[in-house]
Amino acid sequence: MNEHDRTQLGAYALGALEPGEVAEVDEHLATCAECRAELAELEEMKDFLGEVPPEAFLEGPPEGGDLLLQRTLREVREVREASAEPPMPVPVKRSRSRWLMVAAAALVVVGGALGGGVALGRSTAPPQATEPAAGYKEVTAIDTTTGAKMATTVEPRTGWSWVQVQVTGLKAGDQCQLLVTDSAGKTWTAGSWVVSEKAAKNGSTFGGGVLVPLDKVHSVEIRTLQGRHVVTATI
Amino acid sequence: MATATEPLLVLAPANPGIVRLVGDTPGPDDAETLIRTLYAEHGRSLLAYATRLTGDRAAAEDVVQETLVRAWKHAGDLTTGRGSVRGWLLTVARNIVTDRARARAVRPAEVADVVDRPPVQSDHSESVVNTMVVMDALDKVSPEHRDVLVQLYYRGRSVAEAAKELGVPPGTVKSRSYYALRALRAVMAGTEAEVSR
Repeated sequence: MNEHDRTQLGAYALGALEPGEVAEVDEHLATCAECRAELAELEEMKDFLGEVPPEAFLEGPPEGGDLLLQRTLREVREVREASAEPPMPVPVKRSRSRWLMVAAAALVVVGGALGGGVALGRSTAPPQATEPAAGYKEVTAIDTTTGAKMATTVEPRTGWSWVQVQVTGLKAGDQCQLLVTDSAGKTWTAGSWVVSEKAAKNGSTFGGGVLVPLDKVHSVEIRTLQGRHVVTATI
Repeated sequence: MATATEPLLVLAPANPGIVRLVGDTPGPDDAETLIRTLYAEHGRSLLAYATRLTGDRAAAEDVVQETLVRAWKHAGDLTTGRGSVRGWLLTVARNIVTDRARARAVRPAEVADVVDRPPVQSDHSESVVNTMVVMDALDKVSPEHRDVLVQLYYRGRSVAEAAKELGVPPGTVKSRSYYALRALRAVMAGTEAEVSR
């Protein structure tokens, strides 16, 4: 390598030189602190490049049709339709606060998406005025024997589901469990609670998560801890 | 931040995959247009990346679907100008893959904590520099420089192979690779103030 032929250093740092050229550069680097310093800087850039995956430089749509696109569009439409607010005109002026994040303990609700408010997440405290996640299922069931009525919402999560019920016709003091039966027949407990006086009068709202994907949720049942059946909704 | 005359949604700085939706004509089709555009421009990249991370085409498709839906839900995040759209999408896809792996690993009761956290939130791996910052920097160097870096670094080509691919002499590939790294360094130095937060 010529004295301070720095233009070789870029390809050297990137490992693109032929073995013979590498040997020449090595020989020069052994005697030249200036070029070693320069090389260190270039190698730092090489490390930065490593932050970007090689797939980042592929262009265009995926190969093999647009089924994935159609599925995605369907999900977006479902989210929009599920949204309680009518599609709102997108405000021209927008501030960060629109992308409001309320993080309180285990409760995370993100609101104000383009084209309508969308609730993205929630946890054990069931928030009242948020819309369920995309692709959710809703079933209302009435048990003529017990007189209980249950509105059930099952929302998809990543590999699991969030189940929320509103039950009327329960008696104060009832100790209830929220049970989910999957398509294989296995029953999961999504939580348990006791019915308050107020809930007996106005209806009980309760929610819980189960490690059953939405498409595997067969039914949701309320049963007392004493084993008395209250109401079942088949999803 | 935005004023009435600014575009509502500017996805991507000046790069070939630019998406620009101007906010004065919002309509119900905006979401669909956004998804279609993102899919057409970034779908292949996203799916290939997700497939490598998950090792499973079906799982990768789910990840891409969720990434695009999040892009729609978080379209506002893309107006901050930090990082390219491509970088944002790839970062979100990676976060989704990570979240799913984590969700499988934790007890069900804890899973509720990891639902849909906003993507590109502080993530330990981005303490110094992240995918979006580097992609943004790559957007700012000249196309000739970027091409050489893609050939030599991301495609692992030799100088001779890159020269053939790009139709320039090997000496040009060498000098461009040097100046490309210098240019990248200059861009990164210029953004460092933004990066450290």
